[in-house]
Amino acid sequence: MESLSTAPRDERFPHTNQTRNCWVRYVEWKLCEEKHGEEESECKKFGRWARALCPVDWIERWDEQRANGTFPGPSGESS
Amino acid sequence: MSNLNSNLAIYNRHPFHLVDPSPWPFMASLSVLVFLFGLVSYLHGFKVGNFLFVFGLCILVLTSVVWWRDVIRESTYEGSHTVLVQLGLRYGIVLFIFSEVMLFISFFWAFFHSSLSPGVELGMIWPPQGISIFDPCQVPFLNTIILLLSGCTVTWAHHAIIHGNRNQGILALVFTILLALLFTGLQFYEYKIAPFCLSDGIYGSTFFITTGLHGLHVIVGTLFLLVCLVRLYNYQITAQHHFGFEAAAWYWHFVDVVWLFLFVSVYWWGGI
Repeated sequence: MESLSTAPRDERFPHTNQTRNCWVRYVEWKLCEEKHGEEESECKKFGRWARALCPVDWIERWDEQRANGTFPGPSGESS
Repeated sequence: MSNLNSNLAIYNRHPFHLVDPSPWPFMASLSVLVFLFGLVSYLHGFKVGNFLFVFGLCILVLTSVVWWRDVIRESTYEGSHTVLVQLGLRYGIVLFIFSEVMLFISFFWAFFHSSLSPGVELGMIWPPQGISIFDPCQVPFLNTIILLLSGCTVTWAHHAIIHGNRNQGILALVFTILLALLFTGLQFYEYKIAPFCLSDGIYGSTFFITTGLHGLHVIVGTLFLLVCLVRLYNYQITAQHHFGFEAAAWYWHFVDVVWLFLFVSVYWWGGI
C-alpha cells in the first residue's frame, strides 16, 4: 500500500490558521531551489510541503511576485 | 430698604450657572454636519466636497470663537463661574480628556494589531518589507525633548500665575507656545521628507493616523495656550481664578504623554 504523508506538524505554528506555516514553507522551498537547484530531493520535499499547506493561487501569485521582484519575503539576493 | 432689595434681586441665591438660551450649540451641530459631510464627499472624490469641507470648517471655527467669547463674558465679566461651577468644568475637562485617551487607544490598537504579528503580505516583519523609516534618535527624539521642555515651561507659567506674577506667566506661556510651534514645524518637515506615504500599506496608514491625530491635538493645544496667553495679557486670568489655564495645561500634558507613547511604540519599538 502507498504511504500518504503531508507537511509535518511545526511547533512554531500551533494555530488553526496555517497561513504563516504555508508562507515559511514556500520561502524555504524557493530559497532551497535557488541554492541547490530544483532537482535536489530536499527541495522537492519542501515543495511538497508548501503545496500541501498553501492554496494553489497563492503560490501562483507569489511566483509572479518573485518574477517581478515584488515578493515581500527573502530571496537569494538578500539572504 | 427697597433699594437694598432691588440690589439683592440681581444676585443669585444659589451657586449654579443657569445658562441663557444661545444659538451656538445649534450652529456648532450644523457646522459639524456640513464639515463631516464635506470631508466624506471630498474623500470620495466629489467636487462639492472641497467647498463644503472648507465652508463647514470656517463656520465651525467662527461658531467656536463666538461661543467661547460668550463663555469668557459669562465667567470673567458676569461672574457666573462660581467655585461649584468650576468643579463642574473640572469634571467636564477630565471626562473630555478621558474620551480623547480612548480615541488614541483605538488607533494604537490598530498599530499594535498590525505590527505585533505582521501578516505574510508584509513579509512577516515590521516595519514591512521594503519600507524605510525615520531614525527615532534624530528629529523624533528632538521633538520628545521639545515637548517635555514645553511641559516644564507650562508648569512654570502655572506657578507664576498662582503667585500672581503676571509678567513671568506671560513669558513662560510665550516660551511654551514657541516650543509648541517648533514641534509642529519639525513634524511638518518630517512629513515632507518622509520616505513612505499614507497609502504605502498598513505602515503608512498606522503611522500617519496616529502621528497625524496627535499633530492635530498639538495644534488645538497650541491655540488653547494662545487663548490663555491673550487672557492673561488682558488681566482675565488671576491667581484666584484661572481654570481656563489649568484646563489648557491638563490638555497640553495629555498631548505630551500621547507623544511619549507614540515615540516609544511607533518610532522606537516599531523601528527595531
